[in-house]
Amino acid sequence: MTRKLAHNLSLSAFVLVAALIATRPAAAQDPEQPYPTMAPVEQYLMDRDAEIALARSAAPDAISHDASVIVLTRHGYETAVQGKNGWVCWVGRGWMAMFDHPEFWNPKVRAADCLNPPAARSVLPYAYKRTELLLAGHSKPEVIAAIKSAIEKKELPALEPGSVCYMMSKSSYLTDNGGHNAPHLMFYETSKDDAAWGANLTNSPVLSVNYWYISAQSYPQLKSFPPLSVFLVVVDKWSDGTPAPTM
Amino acid sequence: MRKKKVGAIAIKSFALLVVLSTAYQAVAQEATTTYPSMAPIEQYLMPDQGAEIALARSAAPESISRDADVLVLGRHGFETAAKGKNGFVCIVERSWTSAPDPDFWNPKVRTPICYNAASARSFLRRNLKRTDLILAGRTKAQVDEAIGAAVDKKELPAMEPGAMCYMMSKQGYGGDTIKHWPPHLMFYFSQVDPATWGANLPDSPVLGMSDTQEHLTEFVVPVPRWSDGTEAR
Repeated sequence: MTRKLAHNLSLSAFVLVAALIATRPAAAQDPEQPYPTMAPVEQYLMDRDAEIALARSAAPDAISHDASVIVLTRHGYETAVQGKNGWVCWVGRGWMAMFDHPEFWNPKVRAADCLNPPAARSVLPYAYKRTELLLAGHSKPEVIAAIKSAIEKKELPALEPGSVCYMMSKSSYLTDNGGHNAPHLMFYETSKDDAAWGANLTNSPVLSVNYWYISAQSYPQLKSFPPLSVFLVVVDKWSDGTPAPTM
Repeated sequence: MRKKKVGAIAIKSFALLVVLSTAYQAVAQEATTTYPSMAPIEQYLMPDQGAEIALARSAAPESISRDADVLVLGRHGFETAAKGKNGFVCIVERSWTSAPDPDFWNPKVRTPICYNAASARSFLRRNLKRTDLILAGRTKAQVDEAIGAAVDKKELPAMEPGAMCYMMSKQGYGGDTIKHWPPHLMFYFSQVDPATWGANLPDSPVLGMSDTQEHLTEFVVPVPRWSDGTEAR
């Protein structure tokens, strides 16, 4: 910390910040695949206005009010609202989890997410690509191969520094486990070393997962992908400012 | 001039949070007159090196800090007191690097911080140099100027990607203005717009500030627990 920042923080409400919920999103416990295949596409779709509202709820209104919003259609995501602050809000589906995640095809997953401008430019294109290919009926190995090819041809961008997203919606459904939801921020890094941020250690507030896989046993080709880690920090409030329950 | 600029940044960055500023001004005025100049060096030192090491380590969970390097303050600057193996560096910073301006010379300030390897190689070097200069008798203005010049000449490095630190100690003393910081993480960048992280907006959990002279942007994200795992609420 610099004293200049300390000086500014001393002026702020930061000193009044209450403690945050102390939870970690429940890890998938079931070793079997509860959702082995894709459900009918209708089960993944939403009412357009409801999807826009859910997407915006990922971040405080001060951010999401001026964000672009994309919504899922039968063929992929499309822009529903053109914003002006560079942020993009959307509702991720189960297939945005790691390729070997047990809830990859869980049709209940609705992960409201607002990406900051660097993440919108450098993370979202991967989501577009993955979604379009899966909705077109391609298998996971085919999608993985197509993404790898696109990376090698530089059709997909390198991760931009400072890529962050807000997932603070009160209405998200992230997983069948635990309380299904918890407000958090996610930070994207090219580091493949959890220890770089002290993540996943006892009492650390930082969790880290690999963007591509849990174990890579099922899809070993993912090991050759560019390292992409997601660091997650749980916060104490929902996007509307109300306190999140301690879990 | 510089002070005015910092003040302007403060107003701009925390415009929505100035409800506390009236009370702050009164405290600040008192503190300024309380600590007008540097106290004898002994008052900044911790005579018990073991206590300083323990306080430094308390900034992060033990699972991180037990394997960290630890620096302690000597009469001429910080020195390595414990050699670690995970790249983290824990330190108890003093007022001239970590306290609000009114507490700049407050000898009671003790701010435990554990820097990850990326920030230890980049951000921490600035605070070590700042400390060296302070202990060599330089004024606050001279130090600010020297750090800014060193950054411009690249004698001090830019922030490394992934530079961050833990400030989760239940102990320490932030100063008379802010006696104790809530537990939080900090992230360092070479000058970006705080708006790119949605900082300082209503209901945003992120606070941020840019310093144009040092080409530095710091973000703060509060966390729910102290380093020992107990709830801060």
